[in-house]
Amino acid sequence: MFALLAAPTIIDSLLLRFFSEQTVNYVIWPFIQVGAVVTITAGWVAYATYLERKISAFIQARLGPMRVGPWGLLQPIADGLKLLVKEDFIPENADRWVFFVAPYIAVVAAFIVMAVVPFGPDWAVITDVNIGVLFILAVSSVGVLALILAGWSSNSKYALLGALRSSAQMVSYEVSMGLAIIGALMFARTLSLSGIVGVQASNSIWFLLYQPVGFVIFLISGIAENNRAPFDLPEAESELVAGFHTEYSGFRWSLFFMAEYAAMVVVTAVATTLYLGGWYFPYVYQLTEAKGYHNAYVAVSLLVFLAKAGLLLYLYFWLRWTLPRFRYDQLMDLGWKWMLPAALINIVVSAIGVGTIQGLNGFNGMKTIVSTTNGLALTPTGKGIAIAFGVGNLFLTAALLSLINWRSRDFNLKKQRSKIRLVDLPKGKPAVAPAASE
Amino acid sequence: MPLVPVPKPTFAQKLKRFFMVDLLKGLGLTLRFNLGALTSRDSVAGKGIYTEQYPKVRPDVAPRFHGAPRLNMDPETHDTLCIACNLCALACPEDCIDVIPMDVEVVVAGKPRRKKVLDEFIFDTSRCMFCALCQEACPTYCLELTQDFELATYSRAGFVWNREMLEQGRETVKYES
Repeated sequence: MFALLAAPTIIDSLLLRFFSEQTVNYVIWPFIQVGAVVTITAGWVAYATYLERKISAFIQARLGPMRVGPWGLLQPIADGLKLLVKEDFIPENADRWVFFVAPYIAVVAAFIVMAVVPFGPDWAVITDVNIGVLFILAVSSVGVLALILAGWSSNSKYALLGALRSSAQMVSYEVSMGLAIIGALMFARTLSLSGIVGVQASNSIWFLLYQPVGFVIFLISGIAENNRAPFDLPEAESELVAGFHTEYSGFRWSLFFMAEYAAMVVVTAVATTLYLGGWYFPYVYQLTEAKGYHNAYVAVSLLVFLAKAGLLLYLYFWLRWTLPRFRYDQLMDLGWKWMLPAALINIVVSAIGVGTIQGLNGFNGMKTIVSTTNGLALTPTGKGIAIAFGVGNLFLTAALLSLINWRSRDFNLKKQRSKIRLVDLPKGKPAVAPAASE
Repeated sequence: MPLVPVPKPTFAQKLKRFFMVDLLKGLGLTLRFNLGALTSRDSVAGKGIYTEQYPKVRPDVAPRFHGAPRLNMDPETHDTLCIACNLCALACPEDCIDVIPMDVEVVVAGKPRRKKVLDEFIFDTSRCMFCALCQEACPTYCLELTQDFELATYSRAGFVWNREMLEQGRETVKYES
């Protein structure tokens, strides 16, 4: 175990014999990191499909894949092989080049985000961009382009309708997703993802406690952004065959599939980073790094991060097999009338909260802020105030949302009717069809 | 039936909607099923997972299920129990049984006698409706419809079972692992 953890140091000294220090630090190690992250992400994406099938099966009291390998563990490999040898079919009159390019855009947009996700401290992060959050939001929006291109170039009505829906949906939820993040950024005072985790680690707190509303909005928007159930309208099987990838088959289809799961992994990773403290977990630092086991510290942090992201991923599957699909107007309602106001309220309340904490600092000898240089480092009093604001915000947001949507249409179509037909048949008698004249 | 105004939701109903009780209930249900499947504990009625792993694990059919026919043999001497009385063929509403007897010379009490014994038994399972009237008619409990249900073959001729198949049972692929 320790030999494995000492491996980076050994490889480092080995590499330094052949290359200069700059080459090793800026070329070779990044290559190794990128290779590892891409491989692990691809494997994780493949096994996410397996997990999804297993979990859906368990929820429906089935067994799921069982025949390929023990407990069907080799099923993703079998699926991949099957998709590789399938015919790559291009519809007649399709816009060939756009049709070819669209899946690659989808995959690249989903995978490139992994470059800035901090999987752990030190060597477990590829690059720490100081505008990491903006980068993620910008690049993952490019995924919409792939869907539009795929839908348009397929020359199929289902694909086009799916693409239209998905673009409308992703654009609407992008707004509230971006706004939901701002609350957390106020406490972090940095856009770097590693920095955000660092602030939470040095403060020994998860931003989930400061920002419960932001977390909920981010998760819901993330699910909608990924076109996952219950927001999987672009791929609604019952209406649109398969949505934007109706005409895709074989390997190109599998690229879209990979992109979807990779996007899910990205959203869970970002949600973990922003709200669940990323790789930070209490006492990990004291038990490893403080005792001199640096690589053990990184490895345990990596596992912590994966566990948190995995729990959120389970939430995805869990929700998918619990909730039925939204209607299109409900989806738009939820996006614009509930998520967007909630995100705005969250920003205002968070700002007031931060302002209150800053105002109270030094008032009557109260001490709320330790420092503001590296994020908002709060004293226990300050943390209490911030958590109180966060929890209070839950109720305030709910109340304000009810107020805003007081006169708006109900999600329930039955309730939109002012009058209903009461059908109460006398008990114990068989139902009789009403006469035609009535 | 008359149209009436929609009844206003009660305060309890409003509270339920506000705290999304139904959503949480649904999530709880699916989680319960998931955990029940993982621990294989009673999630609904008896077991966590309902899937039958058919070729690997053979399902238990109902006790009164009638399947493949079989000609029983004496467990000690391995002679057939069939006395070629033809009652099963007479009982069969579908006429799918042919009992072909033959005469053999036997010596009973020092005198030569001729005895009717079974030569060949043809059972056409493609015409059989598994009513088990033949089983009822058999005086020696020789012909029996077993619980075996794998009767499919690649040709029509394969449905016609002869005496050997009826006595030994048909060969089916048994899956390991």
